[in-house]
Amino acid sequence: MHAIEVNGLEKRFGEILALDHVSFTVETGEVFGYLGPNGAGKTTTIRILTGITAPTGGSATIFGWDIVRDTTQARRKMGIVYETSNVYDDITAWQNMMFAGELYHVGRIDREERGKELLEIFGLWDRRASRVKGFSKGMKRRLTLAMGLIHDPTLLFLDEPTSGLDVQSNLIIREVLQSLTERGVTVFLTTHNIEEANQTCDRVAIINRGKIAAIDSPERLKKTIQSVQSVEVAFEGGGARALSELAGLPMVSEARKVGDKVRFYTEDPGGLLREIVSYADSHQDRVVSATTLGPTLEDVFIRLTGVQRPKSREEEQ
Amino acid sequence: MNAGFDRKQLAAEAVAAWAIAKKDMIIYYLKPNIVIAGLLFPLFMFLAFAAGKNVPLGALIPGLISVTILFSSSSIEPVSIPIERRTKTFERLLSAPVSLHAIVVGESLSGFLYSLGIALVPLTVGIVAFGDTISSPIMLMGGMLLSALCFSTMGTLFAAYPTESPGDIMSMLNLVRLPLIFVSGTFIPLDAMPPIGTAIAYFSPLTYGNDLIQSAYGHPASFNPLADVAMLVIFFVIFQLIANRLYAHFND
Ligand SMILES: Nc1ncnc2c1ncn2[C@@H]1O[C@H](COP(=O)(O)OP(=O)(O)OP(=O)(O)O)[C@@H](O)[C@H]1O
Ligand SMILES: [Mg+2]
Repeated sequence: MHAIEVNGLEKRFGEILALDHVSFTVETGEVFGYLGPNGAGKTTTIRILTGITAPTGGSATIFGWDIVRDTTQARRKMGIVYETSNVYDDITAWQNMMFAGELYHVGRIDREERGKELLEIFGLWDRRASRVKGFSKGMKRRLTLAMGLIHDPTLLFLDEPTSGLDVQSNLIIREVLQSLTERGVTVFLTTHNIEEANQTCDRVAIINRGKIAAIDSPERLKKTIQSVQSVEVAFEGGGARALSELAGLPMVSEARKVGDKVRFYTEDPGGLLREIVSYADSHQDRVVSATTLGPTLEDVFIRLTGVQRPKSREEEQ
Repeated sequence: MNAGFDRKQLAAEAVAAWAIAKKDMIIYYLKPNIVIAGLLFPLFMFLAFAAGKNVPLGALIPGLISVTILFSSSSIEPVSIPIERRTKTFERLLSAPVSLHAIVVGESLSGFLYSLGIALVPLTVGIVAFGDTISSPIMLMGGMLLSALCFSTMGTLFAAYPTESPGDIMSMLNLVRLPLIFVSGTFIPLDAMPPIGTAIAYFSPLTYGNDLIQSAYGHPASFNPLADVAMLVIFFVIFQLIANRLYAHFND
């Protein structure tokens, strides 16, 4: 049985068609990434799959239960980590955990045991008696995750779990995800962070303007655009000059700064490398390092969604 | 589906409803605007009515109890639910493995218990300060419990309106609650009202709750107590069903 099966799902908000005949399946034990730009329909999909909103067309089942007809059964083993860290500010972390447990009918002993275990895993045990109002963004995010796991779900929905978090919170969340998948928990994860999808997901669906553009493993998705290759070069002189000199070469389809390096897209990496070396010789600019790269998931994403590439990495997020 | 499953689901719904009520009690009981709406507002209404009359103050206590329950029981959810819509915590409830009925009951329960606690204030003051005597404690309890049930569910019903601002719901609610005070025989007896007023009174749950409470104090009743009880139960069921429908409808 599929963990999730979605058939021709459609959601209209008046004039806006937020989901346009979306279909996919998620297998049990899989980490399924749902990748798309802002407004693509990621949260709308999660809200339908968790039964918060009804679709205006199509159907979806969770472990065989129809989400509209058998909502309660479908939800029992479902953990939800919402896009907003929706914790109760006016009560303590512990009270939040216990409330989540009661909502999912977890008995007192299990509730307290798991509550302690999860708060420890998420580094919040010492703060269990503090009101959540004073928590940082990352702490609230971790508490939201802990609450979503209190009933030991077999299917976990994560709506942008790590968006805007610091390294430490990010690492804890990644580790927990890892151990959950080792135990066979199915994960449905939305993100607009391509690297996150690449690193954590078995399969990725790319959604844009309510339509699925592609579904496959990150590796296979990259193969579909093998023609896009690039050379990343670090110049001693910083690269700004090299960028302006070399971007105009006929074999360079696109060039941009990536951190302290310059990245040139080309179908002929060998030829381009020769040009770079000759540029360095003639301009007395030393090449510190040069790497040839295959297509990244980001390239696939940009190719499929037509989203503009940000001018530089720093401008992202 | 077999009975064993149903019983388990029923238990889950009860646990969840009680958890929702407890959470609201911890978070909202001491919020200043809730205390003002629940206790101070009825008190001022009472004083306003008392000032213009030459009846003993003690005689107005049953009406004050009815009005206090009306206001306090319907003052928690219209505040808590819009706030929780804004913080998105309300989505937790909407996505939990329980029915909307359990959510509506759980939400109403905190208003229900709150109003019973608050109503003890005028009740005690009446007995201690004005020497009120209660001829039927059973009727008093019945009247108070059923009024609280009715009006807390009414508060939850109004809070279904999909706004993130408590003020929106409070204004709609007051559009209903304030006129109810005048047409339900609380401070102005039903037989002192023009016929149109009496006609409207039949459609006000406050009429029946107040009637029971007045009878409990030995004041003349307008209806048979059993009729009062039946009407309050009917109003409660109607409010519960409408609330359930509205939450399902606005759930987008
Ligand atoms: N309640 C609503 N009413 C009207 N339009 C809505 C509603 N919810 C979502 N939409 C619209 O549906 C589209 C998809 O929104 P959705 O929130 O699913 O995007 P998303 O992929 O989660 O974006 P983000 O990355 O910003 O979270 C958007 O155009 C949005 O404006
Ligand atoms: Mg979203």
